[in-house]
Amino acid sequence: MSNHLMFPCGRSRREFVWEMGAGFAGLALTSLLSADNFFTRYATAAEPQRLLNPSAAKEPQFKPRAKACIFLMMNGAPSQVDTFDFKPELEKFAGKQLPADKKFTNSGGRKMGYLTPAWRKFRPGGESGLLISDYFPNVRKHADKLCVLNSCHTDSHAHGSALVAMNTGKTLIGRPSLGSWCVYGLGAENENLPGYVVILDKRGGPISGQPNWSSGFMPATHTGTLFRPVGNPILDLQGPEHMIQAAQREQLDLLAKINQRHLDARPGGQELAARINSYELAYRMQTATPEAVDLTQETESTLKMYGIGSQPTDEYGRNCLIARRLVERGVRFIQLYSGGGHLEETWDAHESIEKNHGRHGAEVDQPIAALLTDLEQRGMLEDTLIVWGGEFGRMPFSEGQDAPGRNHNPYGFSMWLAGGGVKGGTTYGSTDEFGFEAVENKVHLHDLHATILQIMGLDHERLSYFHQGRDETLTDVGGRVIHDILA
Amino acid sequence: MSFRYLSLVLFTGALIVNPERAAEAAETPPDFETEIAPLLIKRCVECHQERDPSGNLSLITGQNLLKGGDSGSAIDVAAPEKSLLLQRIHAGEMPPEKQGQPQKLPMEEIRLFERWIASGSPWPEGRTLDLFEQTTDVRAGRDWWSLQPIQQPKVPELHSAPQPVNPIDAFILARLEKKQMTPAPAADKRTLIRRLYYDLTGLPPTKTQVEQFEDDTSPQAWEKLIDRLLDSPQYGERWARYWLDLVRYADTSGYERDQEKPFAWKYRDWVVDSLNSDLPYNQFIVEQLAGDELPNRSQQSVIATGFLRLGTWNDEPNDPLDYQYDRLEDLVHTTSSAFLGMTVKCARCHAHKFDPITQEDYYRMASAFWTGPIAPRGSDLLGGPHPDELGLADVLGWTDLKSPPRPLHLLKNGEREHPLYEVQPASLSMIPALERPFAPQPEGAKTSQRRLQLARWITSPDHPLTSRVLVNRLWLHHFGEGIVRSPNNFGFLADPPTHPDLLDWLAAEFTNGGGTIKRMHKLILTSKTWQQSSLHPQFREYIKRDAGNRLWWRAERRRLDAEALRDSMLATTGELNLKTGGPGFRPTISAEALEGLSKKTAAWSASSPEEQKRRSLYMYSKRGLLPPMMTTFDLCNPTESCGKRDITTVPTQALAMMNNRFVHLRSETLAREISAKNLKPQAQVQQLWSRVYAREPSQQESELALQHLATQSQHFKQHQQQTATSLERSQDHGTGSDKPKESSPLTPETLALASLCHVLLNSNEFLYLD
Repeated sequence: MSNHLMFPCGRSRREFVWEMGAGFAGLALTSLLSADNFFTRYATAAEPQRLLNPSAAKEPQFKPRAKACIFLMMNGAPSQVDTFDFKPELEKFAGKQLPADKKFTNSGGRKMGYLTPAWRKFRPGGESGLLISDYFPNVRKHADKLCVLNSCHTDSHAHGSALVAMNTGKTLIGRPSLGSWCVYGLGAENENLPGYVVILDKRGGPISGQPNWSSGFMPATHTGTLFRPVGNPILDLQGPEHMIQAAQREQLDLLAKINQRHLDARPGGQELAARINSYELAYRMQTATPEAVDLTQETESTLKMYGIGSQPTDEYGRNCLIARRLVERGVRFIQLYSGGGHLEETWDAHESIEKNHGRHGAEVDQPIAALLTDLEQRGMLEDTLIVWGGEFGRMPFSEGQDAPGRNHNPYGFSMWLAGGGVKGGTTYGSTDEFGFEAVENKVHLHDLHATILQIMGLDHERLSYFHQGRDETLTDVGGRVIHDILA
Repeated sequence: MSFRYLSLVLFTGALIVNPERAAEAAETPPDFETEIAPLLIKRCVECHQERDPSGNLSLITGQNLLKGGDSGSAIDVAAPEKSLLLQRIHAGEMPPEKQGQPQKLPMEEIRLFERWIASGSPWPEGRTLDLFEQTTDVRAGRDWWSLQPIQQPKVPELHSAPQPVNPIDAFILARLEKKQMTPAPAADKRTLIRRLYYDLTGLPPTKTQVEQFEDDTSPQAWEKLIDRLLDSPQYGERWARYWLDLVRYADTSGYERDQEKPFAWKYRDWVVDSLNSDLPYNQFIVEQLAGDELPNRSQQSVIATGFLRLGTWNDEPNDPLDYQYDRLEDLVHTTSSAFLGMTVKCARCHAHKFDPITQEDYYRMASAFWTGPIAPRGSDLLGGPHPDELGLADVLGWTDLKSPPRPLHLLKNGEREHPLYEVQPASLSMIPALERPFAPQPEGAKTSQRRLQLARWITSPDHPLTSRVLVNRLWLHHFGEGIVRSPNNFGFLADPPTHPDLLDWLAAEFTNGGGTIKRMHKLILTSKTWQQSSLHPQFREYIKRDAGNRLWWRAERRRLDAEALRDSMLATTGELNLKTGGPGFRPTISAEALEGLSKKTAAWSASSPEEQKRRSLYMYSKRGLLPPMMTTFDLCNPTESCGKRDITTVPTQALAMMNNRFVHLRSETLAREISAKNLKPQAQVQQLWSRVYAREPSQQESELALQHLATQSQHFKQHQQQTATSLERSQDHGTGSDKPKESSPLTPETLALASLCHVLLNSNEFLYLD
């Protein structure tokens, strides 16, 4: 049988995809069609079903600065004025209220306290002398690699919607996440591993859960794959003991024959062909996935550097090291959550900045620093983008008289980028003198997303997915690339 | 059109100052009704409306326009060109920017405003604009198609083919005829019976059932089969699942503690029973919304109100007072999605952005639930009434609590701290002919009767949405796609119906037939449209012309959903336990799947093996621990109403089918049974084919299968020898934690047969319906 005409040649991809409508919902056709060489490849392909592999690598839209991205997600929202945005004025205004002309939503209707300076000291790091607080003493040693964006702002003051916004561009659930856009646009370099991996904090998932790594209206294959940090990273990687590799191979060969005969009698059965192909991918994932997370292959000194085997760094250290191994193996987008569940289990420091950030900072500071060192030593930092930040920031004032915590602040906060062709040792944008709201060179989360895509070799305005009559993009109609920070 | 494109046009246009044009413009005042009113409605009235207008400027009457707002009059009568309204528009300040993006108007719209204002901004006497009076290109008005009354359309007459018996076919064929296309030929009987069994019961037919049907050449064979399956208890179990998806059914509360919702299963059983007894749809709705308020209230009708108890429930919300409003949203959203196909919840903080639903409408619907156990109370009640309040023990039900009810205020921007006026309970305003306030609580009544009145409104015979939405759901589950492809949204963002007349005809037929669902099933299943083959001789041409099969020129090939797949495996191996009703069973979940979860959920004890062989409908649904095998195959998340599941094809499904213990156990069970018969390999293969595929193997298939048995026997023999050796060496042999624990040793030959069975269970022939 020839599946030669399985796809209607000579049509524009969009027309084809559009007319497919939801008829083949979830089939990963659109992504593979987005490869610009699709039809030429198709016409000459000896094995047409191979083309149904949605994870195949695709050409970026222009020369990428990074081929992989590691997003260090500080779930719960760290405080900018206590970490990366030094505000000496807060000392002066300490105990005073934020001026009345500063308008904001008091998230959760919490008590409104007084301007409070940073809970730990800021010190200069590296040759650049970037000011970073004592919550991140190890990261500070890498100051010259960091590009700190001090003027971020977002669209919601509530965790649930702000997390979803940081991940998908919109506060309402249902849109594809940043990682989904990356694998949709670029495919995976290594087809034996998922292209987009998310590792949650053991304490739980982020509020809103799965929509944070969902592929939204795109095929589900672009959804982030959750790697469990213990045991086999994904379920069902191993069959019963007697099903040795040769026996399983024999099964799959027979299955392929039976399925091929079935397909031959059903011309145009794209969904059938896709399912046939998924078995070969699954077969290879069985060996590739456990190998990717097998830290016994790492040296003692590497493990030690990441803080693996010591507390409180063991968990995030493992995750950071796994991230490096995944990048080495061609995974495009990896998101590592720090903080899970609710409130103090996350960076949501309502009760006490010192207690909360002291705890979570200590968990991640050494692992993140180790990741930067490790990537640099292996020459991987230049084509790996690291993104650090939470879903929003925190208020420069306390939650009441002498209260040690801070409330949510979507108006101004800090994130940082490193590696991937960004200018290290720099800051971009700034908040007002209190660190309350972004005032100069404001970076909306759409701008951040546009810039991340740019670094990955994707144009945020052209990387679109046609859905319900509209070309959807990650940044919708907003977003600008911050060219100033690109090296 | 994208705003990016718009702003490009504007940018160049706005720089041109053209006095000549302005003079010309002044001479011809634009027509208010056809040019100005639509423009104001489209661009301005959303914010500058009657109540609490932006900048205190309302633009719904001529007087308001002149009166102006905080910044003064919008119109400068003496010097119209200096009018504030024009200044703000020219400056690109109005409409205001969205998400940092300027929303400057296109030049032709600016010109319209200029001409209108230059001509003295005439406004017809007494004319009041209404945001939702008409559909514009940015939102639906009350003239939106799905809100119009249903009149049963005439069945179309065909020109090129004989008039079909079933009106459904006439609607489908008429469109195909127009496009000069022909439908696919009828599917063969084997395909049809398999399709029908899954369609109505979610289970496969046995080989004997297939053969009996093939042999029955009587003209009634098909109808008889439909009737028999509609009468089987498995029908209700299959179709209840679709309803449970819609009402976010689960057995627990979700969130950190994820407590059990006791007796939720009684609601599930009520849905199954209602479908099996063909409860008229109106009654089905009324009992779920107000079964406790009915004059003839019964235990069953109160169980039906479990509908209002199925949402997630947080015993420790961030702010308990705010949480009341989140619970209202859940109730409004589920009610409006399930019964009306409308996203009323989007109007919680402001008027709906796309559909004619005012913010007040949201609160009107919410008021029906406000009288229930919404306010913070003891967490042991799980957000519901006390059994004494409900008047029944051991039922997960709903009822009103206090009389007189607390007033419910419309909240500015949805913020509790900013209540505006008190909302009078009423139906929604989107269908003016049916709009009515709810009567106050009658003297001596135990409940406010608001839910009953809401239900009566939803079920009024003239309601344009209720029946359209329901017949579309039936069509969706029979065909794999709806006539409207967004089953929970019939608003502006919906995909338009592929066959609007057919939708209306079906809706009218449904209402005229007294709302019996089984009658509609039979009508659809006896259509030639449903009985088409999934293969079409002109496939290659047609797929180019209509890849989405919006014209229904062939049947869609469908993959079994998670439940049908699991149930089919059990049915194939003869293990399926058809026990109906009662508390759900807990499936075995691998230790690995449990490990990643938080400690509180780790205490999971699986039910007995016999219980675990019940249909998937009865699988205990714990929100924090949905079975991975099911979610991998697109089980929907029970947090929100789900009208249509995703259908994905991903490698993790292949991994599950290749490696999951459940699938291996099924294969081994069947292999054990067949090996026990001491047959020759050839006969074993035949048995296997008959059990899994309900057919004989072909010659070539037999050969492949025999080869497989031989090869696998060799592999397993070798493995057993090696294992024996290594076991002697060490008792601590490393194994995967998915390793089956209870399987007694099988011979290499039986394992080989299991391996063959496993391959068949993995095959596309098993998983897909033609």
